Amino acid sequence: MKVSLDWLGEHIDLTSYSPEDLDSLLTFAGIEVENIITIPDKVIVAEIKTIEPHANADKLSVCLVNDGNKDLRQIVCGAKNFKIGDKVPLALPGAELGNGFTIKQSKLRGIESHGMLCSQSELGGEDDQGLWILPSESKIGAPLSTIHPTIFDLEITPNRPDCLSHLGIARELSALSERSLKDNPDYTFSKTPQRIAKESEINNLAQKKCSFYTTRIIRNVHVTESPDWLKTKIESIGLRSINNIVDITNFVMMEMGQPLHAFDYNALKGGICVRQAKEGEKINALDGFNYDLSTDDLVIADETKAIAIAGIMGGADTGITGKSQDVLLESAHFLSSSIRKSSRKLGLSTDSSYRFERGVDPGQIIGSSELATKLILELAGGKAEDKTVVFGTSEDSLTSISLDSDKCRAVIGHDIKDQEMFGILENLRLKKIDENDNISNWEIPSYRRDLTRPADLHEEIARVYGIDNIPSRQSGWFSKASEADNLFDFIETTANELSSIGFYETRTIKLTSKLKIDDCVCTDNSDAIVIKNPLSDDLTHMRSGLIASLIEVAERNLHQGAEELRLFETGTVFPGKETSEEAQHLAILISGPKQNSWINPSPKPASFFTLKGILERIIDKPIELTLTDSNQKNAAFIANIGIENKTIGHAAQIIPSRARQIDARHPVFVAEINLDLVFLQRSKQVIFKELPKYPAIRRDIAMELPISLPNVEIEKIFRAIDSSLLESFKLFDLFYDETGNRMDKNKKSIAYSLTYRNHERTLKSAEVDTEHEKILNELKTKLPIEFR
Amino acid sequence: MVEELENILKDATLAISNACTIDELDKLRLTFLGKKGIVTIIAAKMKDLGKEEKPAAGKALNKTRTAINDSLEVKVLNIQEEEDRRVGKNIDVTLPGASLPRVGRHPISQMLSEAVNALRRMGFSLASGPEIETEWHCFDALNTPADHPARNESDTFYFTDGRLLRTHTSTVQIRTMQNSEPPVRIISPGAAYRRDEIDSTHLSQFNQLEGLYVDKNVSLADLKGALEYLLHSIFGKKTQIRFRPHFFPFTEPSFEIDILLQAQGKEPKWIEVAGCGMVDPNVFIEVNKSRGDNNYSPDKVSGFAFGLGLERLAMIRWGISDIRLLIENDTRFLQQFA
Repeated sequence: MKVSLDWLGEHIDLTSYSPEDLDSLLTFAGIEVENIITIPDKVIVAEIKTIEPHANADKLSVCLVNDGNKDLRQIVCGAKNFKIGDKVPLALPGAELGNGFTIKQSKLRGIESHGMLCSQSELGGEDDQGLWILPSESKIGAPLSTIHPTIFDLEITPNRPDCLSHLGIARELSALSERSLKDNPDYTFSKTPQRIAKESEINNLAQKKCSFYTTRIIRNVHVTESPDWLKTKIESIGLRSINNIVDITNFVMMEMGQPLHAFDYNALKGGICVRQAKEGEKINALDGFNYDLSTDDLVIADETKAIAIAGIMGGADTGITGKSQDVLLESAHFLSSSIRKSSRKLGLSTDSSYRFERGVDPGQIIGSSELATKLILELAGGKAEDKTVVFGTSEDSLTSISLDSDKCRAVIGHDIKDQEMFGILENLRLKKIDENDNISNWEIPSYRRDLTRPADLHEEIARVYGIDNIPSRQSGWFSKASEADNLFDFIETTANELSSIGFYETRTIKLTSKLKIDDCVCTDNSDAIVIKNPLSDDLTHMRSGLIASLIEVAERNLHQGAEELRLFETGTVFPGKETSEEAQHLAILISGPKQNSWINPSPKPASFFTLKGILERIIDKPIELTLTDSNQKNAAFIANIGIENKTIGHAAQIIPSRARQIDARHPVFVAEINLDLVFLQRSKQVIFKELPKYPAIRRDIAMELPISLPNVEIEKIFRAIDSSLLESFKLFDLFYDETGNRMDKNKKSIAYSLTYRNHERTLKSAEVDTEHEKILNELKTKLPIEFR
Repeated sequence: MVEELENILKDATLAISNACTIDELDKLRLTFLGKKGIVTIIAAKMKDLGKEEKPAAGKALNKTRTAINDSLEVKVLNIQEEEDRRVGKNIDVTLPGASLPRVGRHPISQMLSEAVNALRRMGFSLASGPEIETEWHCFDALNTPADHPARNESDTFYFTDGRLLRTHTSTVQIRTMQNSEPPVRIISPGAAYRRDEIDSTHLSQFNQLEGLYVDKNVSLADLKGALEYLLHSIFGKKTQIRFRPHFFPFTEPSFEIDILLQAQGKEPKWIEVAGCGMVDPNVFIEVNKSRGDNNYSPDKVSGFAFGLGLERLAMIRWGISDIRLLIENDTRFLQQFA
């Protein structure tokens, strides 16, 4: 919301405050200052007299402007949005436009420019679309600061609708600065008598949504342009001047916070009816658009049709025009939630709806009507009916809250004296009803509808006292590591290990699409959870696996020229069916050779076994891989990853046709594991083993066996053998030839090295021979093996 | 034979003195002294000699062996010395190293890890909660009015069973208080979702770090102390911090925290990094209702809560201009945080 400093000055003396002082005063009271627009010195109003194209630059033009002196001034200008006769801001040489930018007399592409014509943004405002076209009656040569006051653009939090007006901000500043509000002569009007509406005048069929509705009729008004002071005032805060009646209703809204509406009384057919819209009802609103209403929307209607969307916008047919004679002025109270709902549904947010949906002060409905009537009589003449017609009550019964000073001190953590607390509340215009020990009771003004509980008073005291004045306290405490701590550390360790061996950690978003999910070849995605109200077609599902994201990242990096892909991600996945099911997964993608270096110019591209090696390194229990016949469109093959016969994840190669689609130059391998399961399986303790004292003896085995025989069968035999001497075994060579040229293509040749050791004494060669023979026999009997 | 040995010694001495490498010397050792070497073959002939010839021949044989051995050893030493002298003579130390490229964690993870470390030093433990939540945990329990705009389908993602994607990690506050007795001191990092179009400053899913401390007599002064410590840990001791009153439904009083950002060549600027406040009594009341007891009575306990946006912290910390860079995972971007 924009507020004008001059306007605020009518309510409170701010002369000794600089805009910066006010900025900090407001900011520390919880009112965010988004922008301060102050017109710098040496910026004046000028009138465009001539516009000629610049001889040396297509985008520039050369203007002569009247700056109030006899001679016209030549200015080179880059904007296009103006014409001869427009009044625009002119920054004279020497003007400082902020950020150290000072206007100088200069030559632009060879033509002299004696100043600069400015856009609003160049003068601290927002609009940067060309020059700032000023009102036509602006006085030529006058400093712009005299006609355009300093404007504060404020962000008011939703709990403080009472601050959505100049009076509201002035009240707040008064509490913060301990300066009293001025007595404004405009508010010294005699209270108009009220009369209960007849049904033919106001028929309220929706009392739950409209608890109070008032009308005032003013006859024989003269609708004209507003006087300069009013025009300037409302234009300075970004409103458009329409005519004196409409401008007055807008002025009162910005002054008091109460939205009003003026109907052309003679355009109404019969009395006012407050009701729900009818099914299929339409309204042509003041903004020129037609709105389709539904039965949830509250409307103001006459006997024939809806004439306003209640609290949001009036209808075009009943608005005030130059021809209007009699005015029906509405000042009412509408239910916040109803206005909010309609405003959202219709996509129509106005200054009026903005205030109603946050809640307006019921105590000011009549006062606002009175002020508007007074101004209409002053500026448009006419005669007001001698009574305000009302329906319902303004429910401005006052509430009270009790304050426990000790509790307040405890919550704030600082010894604020009672008198200081009371002073703050009194400055906020709360009235102390009574006081007993450390309990005091406070009457709340009608506009502070946000104050309902003691905690609200603690907040007010803390806010106004200033958190800067509350010393901070630092203390620590003992705390146990939770299961979440342990899981977090476990994942951190795993991730750090992966990044230490050259893997980039990716973080992708968890929303995905049915199409992308096909890339999650390591998870079952058939039940991926669907979002009811997705934002776009490519973010429709919750991810059931991480691989799809990694493939997307791989594609992006391949396209930027990367050849080595080493990626991993950890994070939540949603396995599907039940929305209550979530798991922590780790996925790895690997493809291509490690970056080459001059010392190793042609490194080998990653293979499936590169991936398996990494899995073996980061999972601290032995893993078993078995091929599955699982059917995933985008996988060439999928292997099950198990620990102690329990599946913890899958590893796969992406099918080459899919890899080509992402422009991968090397085979792409992926794995995804469930970290929750690995976490539960993690080894707890390392137990030290004595170092061997006696030497080991190594024997190698070279064998030929069918290519289809899984290697694990050999290792099973090594593991099962009853031998106290066999310490370890290790595959050290594998050869096969798919072409069959160098070896039977159905066979492979494998070589193992076995290590024997006796921990009690030095081994004898003969002992090893016996043991080794035993193992060879075992292999020979159990497997179709030939030794070489 | 003696003469033959003398000739062999001559040959050997010559060959050895001509040899240039240890390899050649090893071969010469084999040629002369190996199992099938020249000297060994001659030695085998010893048994055929007459008694009177044997002593002289034996002596000559030993002498030859020793002499060859000695000159081999001397020559080996000479060559090694010479090689040792050459070591490092021709190295070009300016050649690039065999690269072991450094890869760092994702900047969000680095930021998270730093924040978690600082908070653990204060004694916070981790807690977790689901990302798909009930409306009650996300809104009702957190004192959000029934018609609050955040609940709209235009702002929040829903599922057909009525659950939703949590719009903040504050849901973990509620779950923690439901399941454990006061005092609680927890932090909870995790994803939150808003139905925002993705652009340079918005993501539909982002990362927050939530904190909650509930105990007897927890005060605003404690909140201030904890968050100052945290932000000083992340942004440096000298960073200026300010607490600006604000409004959140679930805390009262509520504050936004700004730090003074001093970018090179620019005016210093206050920039928002966190939201915080004292837990609203209504939150305690809702928790008690669901627990069916009064252990979190606002008369007995008080607490503070805070939430940090990790993307925001990372962007400020490293001057990252576009939030989308944080989800694109271009390795040229990630590489910079190694």
